[in-house]
Order: sequence, then C-alpha cells, then structure tokens
Amino acid sequence: MDTLFHNTNDAVIVMDELGVIMHWNPKAEIIFGWSATEAIGCYFHNICLPDHNCEPYLKMIKQSSQGQLVSETMEIVAQRKNLAEFEINLGISHAAINGKTFLIGFAIDITERNQVRDKLDKQKEFYENILNCIPTDIAVFDANHKYIFVNPKAIENEELRKYIIGKDDFEYAEYRNRDDSVAKLRREQFLEIKKSAKEIRWEDSIKDPNGHTITHLRRLFPVFNEKREISMVIGFGIDITERKLLEEKQTAILNQLSSQNTQLVDFCNIVSHNLRAPLVNMAMLANFIEQSTDEDEKKLLISKLNPVINNLHNTFNELVESIQIRQDHEISSEDILLEDCLQRALGGLELEISACGGVIEKNFYDAVSINFPSKYLHSIFQNLVGNALKYKSPVRTPLIRLESKREGDSIILSVSDNGLGIDLVKHKDSIFKIGKVFHRHPNAKGIGLFMTKTQVDAMGGRIWAESTPDQGSTFFIEFKKQKI
Amino acid sequence: MKPFKRIFLIEDDSISVFLVKKTIEASNFLTDIKVFNDGLEAIEYFEEIVGHADLFPDIIFLDLSMPVMDGWAFLEEYMQMQPRLGKDIALYVTTSSISPHDIERAKSIRVVSDFLIKPLVTYKVVELLSKLN
Repeated sequence: MDTLFHNTNDAVIVMDELGVIMHWNPKAEIIFGWSATEAIGCYFHNICLPDHNCEPYLKMIKQSSQGQLVSETMEIVAQRKNLAEFEINLGISHAAINGKTFLIGFAIDITERNQVRDKLDKQKEFYENILNCIPTDIAVFDANHKYIFVNPKAIENEELRKYIIGKDDFEYAEYRNRDDSVAKLRREQFLEIKKSAKEIRWEDSIKDPNGHTITHLRRLFPVFNEKREISMVIGFGIDITERKLLEEKQTAILNQLSSQNTQLVDFCNIVSHNLRAPLVNMAMLANFIEQSTDEDEKKLLISKLNPVINNLHNTFNELVESIQIRQDHEISSEDILLEDCLQRALGGLELEISACGGVIEKNFYDAVSINFPSKYLHSIFQNLVGNALKYKSPVRTPLIRLESKREGDSIILSVSDNGLGIDLVKHKDSIFKIGKVFHRHPNAKGIGLFMTKTQVDAMGGRIWAESTPDQGSTFFIEFKKQKI
Repeated sequence: MKPFKRIFLIEDDSISVFLVKKTIEASNFLTDIKVFNDGLEAIEYFEEIVGHADLFPDIIFLDLSMPVMDGWAFLEEYMQMQPRLGKDIALYVTTSSISPHDIERAKSIRVVSDFLIKPLVTYKVVELLSKLN
C-alpha cells in the first residue's frame, strides 16, 4: 500500500472530510510543486486550485461534509506552487477508515493529453476540410465493398451520406429506387481489384439534368495492411469534362488539319496533272501551228485546239466547284424527302434509263428524309445512279437499289447495282480521286465520285464502297448528326 | 536488224497521241508506232507477243493517268511479266504531271528508264532513239 502510494503515476492526496491534506505523495510534490511538509495541513483547494476555478470542487467537498458519499471525477484547472495553471483530471472518492471519513484524491496532469487531443482535433478538422472541400468525389470501402467514408462531393445530401456508411452499392441503389446496373458494374470492378491487387481507372460520361455530358476520370485503388491484404479500397473521380471537351476539340482540329493537308496534296496533284495536261497540249499545238507551212496541216492543228480548250475549261470549272464546296461552310441543310430528290435526279437520267430498260428499286421507309444541302443530295443521286447506268453490265439489265437506314443518329444511304463493279483490291485508294476512271466509256471523266466525296466530306459525312468485279457495286454514304 | 524503231505509246488522250506521234515523226527516224489507250490494252498485247521477240518494242512511252489501268498499275503488271519477255525494253514514263511525288515514285521502279515531263520535244526523242543500238 505504501509502495503504491509512493510510486504510482498519479498524485495521491489523502484529505480529511473537509479537504485538509493529510498525506501527499512524491508524485503530488512533482505535479503541484509543493513538498509534503508544505502541503500537509493545508486545504487542498487553497494551495492547488486557483480561486476562480474551485467552485465544483468546493461543492463536492460541501456535499461530502454533509454526509453524502461522493465519488467523482472532474477535469479541472489546477495551480502549481509557482501559480502556473494547468489541467488535471481529479478523482475524489470517499474512504472510511476506523470509523473516520477520509477523502482520497487522485490527480493526473492532463495538460499534455489535452494538447495532444486538441492537436488531433485540429488535424482531424484539417483533413476533413480537405476531404469535404476537395472538388473530387471520394469514397472509401472496406475489404467487403461496404462504404467507410464518402465525401460531400460524392454525395451531397448529408442524410444519404450518413445512410450509406456500412452499406454497399446494392443497398444504396435499392434505397434510392435505382436499378442495380451501376452497382453490378462497381462490384465487378471491386472484385477485379481484389483479384489483381492493382488499381483500375476508367472514364465515364453521364448526362447532367441539363442534358450536358459530364465526364469523370475515376480510379479505384487498393490499400494494403502490413500483411499485404487489402484493408480498404479508395475510389475517386475527377470531373474532366472541360479537358475532355478540349481534347475532342483538339482531335477535331487535328482531323480537320490532316484532311485539309490531304486535300492540299490532292489539289497539288490535280493542278500539276489534270490542269497541266491540256496546257501542255495547247502549247505543243501552238508550236506546231507556228512551225507548219502547210495550210491544211495548220487547219487540222487549229481544229484540235478547241477540244483541248474545252477540256481545260471543264477541268478548271470542276476544280473551282470542288473548292467552293470545301469552302462553303455556310451552305444550309434542310430536311429533304429522299423520294422527291431521287425523282428529280431520275428526271435528268430519263433517256439513259429508258435506253437500257434499267429498273430502279427503292426503300426509304426506315429514313424518309435527310437533313443535307438539297443541291448536294441531288448531285449525289445523279452521280451514283448515273454511274450505275453508265457502267452497266453488257449482259445484265441494270437493277439499281436505293435504301436508307438509320444507325444511331446517322442515316446510311446505299446505292447498289449489278453492273461492272470495280476491283477494289487494286483501286481502293483511288476510287474517289479526281480523274480516275475504271472502265472504258466515252463519257467517263473521273469527276462524279470525286465531287460526291467532296460534298459528303464537306458536310462531315463518310462515303465508301463495296464491289465485286462483274457482279456490281454498292456505294454507302453516312449522313451524320441526323434528327432522331 | 530491222530498218525501223518499234514504239509503243500507251496514252489515252487522243490529242496527246497525235502530238507525240507528230513529235516522233519530226525526229526523222523510221518508226512504227503502236498506240494503246490504256495500260490493260498494252498488257493484253504483251501477253499475245510473249515469245515473239521480233514484235517487242524498242521503246515504250507510258502515260500515268489513264482509265481502266493507269500507268502505275501497268508498271506492276509489266514488272511481273518482264522476266518472261527476256529482254530489257527502254521504258519512259511520259506525263504532264510535275508532282515530285510522281517523279520519285517512277524513278524508284526498276523497269523505268527515265521520267519525262511533257511536252515531249523532238530533240529528246532523237536522243532517246539514237541511244538504242
């Protein structure tokens, strides 16, 4: 008992029922600064508590002196001999020895403890502030995929945020009356992480209430305990909508640049070849005319000038037209009934159709109309149907099928024939190039498909072909961003 | 040795054919000029005359831009056929194209002797025909 009294870590003070100190252990000497000799015989509150703060203690002593059994612990500000104030945890209890009542006090200096606690509180506040204010969704899961923590950015509603702790995504989805598709997906991802012990990241896009697409970059990564087991999984998502938009813009610009570059190279080729060819002919003819002394020969040479000039003129006009198509970003699109537009185009091909007895079949039920510049669509029908007639098989009556189909917000128009076809293995890269002709035909100039592609490209669409030589060809045009 | 030079002119544009013929005539060489309107016609004819070296041309003038089978496609077919011909024939790509890309590409092809940019002039024809033994 005595050893305990002397060696304990607490200050032990034995008082009579009025609070006069009778015993004062060495720890009490250290904590309060008073030696046992000085302390014994004094009222505890007189030497150890500041006047302004001894109320609760005195109240207790009073109760005790009135015969009540007290046993109380309080945190209270105490005072050292040097008047410095500090916090103690003071426990007082009754003890009756040999019929006499004593009060035994245990005091622990808790200044440090409180400082630590304050510090911890501040730290906690600091981290909570970060977690709560950071513009990032954060969720922390335990090893069983139950929520341990969710920050307000992830779930704004405080009630829901509290609800979700200890629950999983399935429970949450049910609580919010949502289907469990997202929960299923997240569970798969979670299991994947548990299996691979590696983080996963992905992008997901959702529509906000205003219909704007919001994209998040999400990461889920495991945190391991010292046994290398997954102790929790942290998930966070950052809103990268702006970056995404920027990226999309950049990609669009890049595509535009590269397509413009291709156009420039094409254009250079066109100028250096298609325009230069008639010019060379003209120069040579002029040269021969100059040198010729024979009148008949001169006449012959002069007669050859006109077709060359016409050729130059046509090529030049076609080039200018193709440039205009590329430059004309202002051309307005309208909703055009495919049936109407086709009939107008067929009107211009009446002679050719009746000459060969060609059959035209169409199916525009899936997409009745297309939003496109009317002039271009007319020219597209004219070119594609015109080609199908021009390059018909010598042994088959032309059968031309036109069809429109919806695919997402695009409409695919296809024009197929049973004509000569094109060997796409050989000509894949050149079918839409200017001046490319694949079959002997007096009116083949290699302009039609080039113009069609130029018009489709200019409107952001896509054109491609499938073909088997001597069986037929199908041309497809994708008209993008159509009304659904 | 035959008294004339046999020339194959592979060219679709009738005016060009007329002009090249006229230029060759002006060279005063005795020539026999055979015209093919596209690469395929020429290839088909070569198929016919394989084994008849006396019908081979001494020189080929090949245009690049032609319907059906253009000059490039002709060159591919011709290269495959060449071992069967058993003879190196002078082949000149003659075109109005001044695209550096075309020139590079043509010169990189083994069977192409040279790349000539139109207009073809008589003294050039004289030079080329004189070079033939």
